Amino acid sequence: MRNTVLLSVSAAAALAAAAASAQTITINSFGGRYEEAHRKCVIAPFEAATGAKVQIVTAYSADAFAQLRAQAAAPQFDVIHFSGGQEILGAKEGLLAPIDAASLANAADLVEVARPNLAGGQGPAYSIVALGLVYNSQAIPAPPTAWADLARPEYAGNLVLTDMSNTYGLQGFLMLNQVLGGDMTNIQPGLDAVKTMLDGGAVVVSTSPEIMQEFAQNEAWVAPYSSDYAFTLREAGLPVVFARGAEGTPAVFITANLVANRPNAELALKFIDREISPEAQVCFAGEMRYAPTNLKAELTGAVAEDTPYGAEALGSLLRFDPTVIEANRAAWVEAWNRTIAR
Amino acid sequence: MTDRQESALLLLPGLLLLAGAFLVPILQMLALSVAGPDGGWTLDHFRRFLGDGFYLAVLARTVRLSLVITAICLAVGFPMAYIMARARPRPRVWLIVLVILPLMTSVVVRTFGWMVLLSRSGLVSGLLRDFGLAPRNFALMYTETAIVIGMVQVLLPFMALSILGVILRIDPRIEEAARTMGCSFLRALAAVVLPLSLPGIVAGSLLVFTLSASSFVTPNLLGGPRVQVLAASVWRAVTQTLDWPFAAAQAVILFAGVLAILVPYIRIAGRGHG
Repeated sequence: MRNTVLLSVSAAAALAAAAASAQTITINSFGGRYEEAHRKCVIAPFEAATGAKVQIVTAYSADAFAQLRAQAAAPQFDVIHFSGGQEILGAKEGLLAPIDAASLANAADLVEVARPNLAGGQGPAYSIVALGLVYNSQAIPAPPTAWADLARPEYAGNLVLTDMSNTYGLQGFLMLNQVLGGDMTNIQPGLDAVKTMLDGGAVVVSTSPEIMQEFAQNEAWVAPYSSDYAFTLREAGLPVVFARGAEGTPAVFITANLVANRPNAELALKFIDREISPEAQVCFAGEMRYAPTNLKAELTGAVAEDTPYGAEALGSLLRFDPTVIEANRAAWVEAWNRTIAR
Repeated sequence: MTDRQESALLLLPGLLLLAGAFLVPILQMLALSVAGPDGGWTLDHFRRFLGDGFYLAVLARTVRLSLVITAICLAVGFPMAYIMARARPRPRVWLIVLVILPLMTSVVVRTFGWMVLLSRSGLVSGLLRDFGLAPRNFALMYTETAIVIGMVQVLLPFMALSILGVILRIDPRIEEAARTMGCSFLRALAAVVLPLSLPGIVAGSLLVFTLSASSFVTPNLLGGPRVQVLAASVWRAVTQTLDWPFAAAQAVILFAGVLAILVPYIRIAGRGHG
């Protein structure tokens, strides 16, 4: 008798737990202003519409991917966001679930490059970030106009570089390498230039807030970084300008991915669908100056001036092949570490 | 229930916790560090580390910094503990509160404080520049000195409190006897108090050394990406190059390196004492 009671109590508890977890999905976000925008544009409307609860874990792409991999046997995320192309590796390793394009109402409106392989497990891109030259317009003697300008010796003492662990850092480095004569098989020209910059007094930081600190307190003049963060710096009252390098504008794709082997895929797909909806993307563009990937998203006023959008503008952005990056990342990171190590 | 059974019962939770939270992960780490690409086992990850000047330099820096941090903590912590021990109970309580107070804020917050002070336009670097002691672009941030400063602040309480516990148990009359026999204050300190407080010094140094060798947050934030220590290198291998066997090998080397220094230290210190 006692056993039966125990059994039924524990069964009820298990059921309750299952019901509770069906109403909750766990995602990662990138912290700071990004997370605030994420809440406002996607999470709050999603919770209001579905009655579900979204749990947020703050983790940058590389950390999030390491967690996803460590949890392979018992994944904890439902939707995971990457900005560094990690979805390609995740899909290959079976950590991400394939997405049927028909299950996302907004998938058909996405620009082609934003949905390269949904059926293979690579989630859709919901935002595109342009990279260029972020500089302090009051402090710098002559503003940079091209990526090659970063190598000017007079900038070196006030130049901020970003570590390769950071997606923007990696992409900015690849662009610098490319304009200096390197390519995706040879990053030595870029490494040599970085070495010269560091000898001239440039600093290396790993996270966005450190870039803000360098501009606000440490007399930084210029940093190769993203348009959205230039906007963040401007909002913080710094006289910062974002310029596109003459040689081209690399772009970073932020993707939303469905984690494999989770119980509530349906709810997670609804969440992803909201992220690629025009409303969410217009909101994101307004908050962060991210380029929308949904062609139905209409931008107006100052936002439209700051943000590339539409099929044509997005088509002109450069994208370094994520598969090549994934294949070389380990070797590049190691070479980079050796170059910057004191 | 016999006494033996009772003690076994009392030990059980601790043993289970140790086995589950310590032994199993360590064994997994050991297994991963020799995992070959095709499921077999290999020593390649260790060969790669030990045959590469870059990683050896990271290891050397980790050990060197830990030794410097331990030495400074000892030099500051011993006099501090002595004064606390010989103070009257009321002031002693306040001194202990002062030592423990920094432990009440998170390491990250304290480290951010140092980042502000040590940065290029921060108070410390600015003062050094204003007095002409440093060049124009000088900053203490992102140097080994910054790591040492930050770590000493974090770890000093461990050293001071370990020594304090032992000095409190030394009978003050032994010291008085030494003074009556003609020892100067410093001589009494060196010849009587110091040797007697050796167990506390050993315990404190072990704590400080192991904590600084394995610490990650403070060195990573204050040293930046350019001044790497082993724990940060392990983290990089886990999150960026995604080379987990190599990360495990580095962790094993850190573990073995710490052991290699600790075991002789405990032996020598133990012999000297007893």
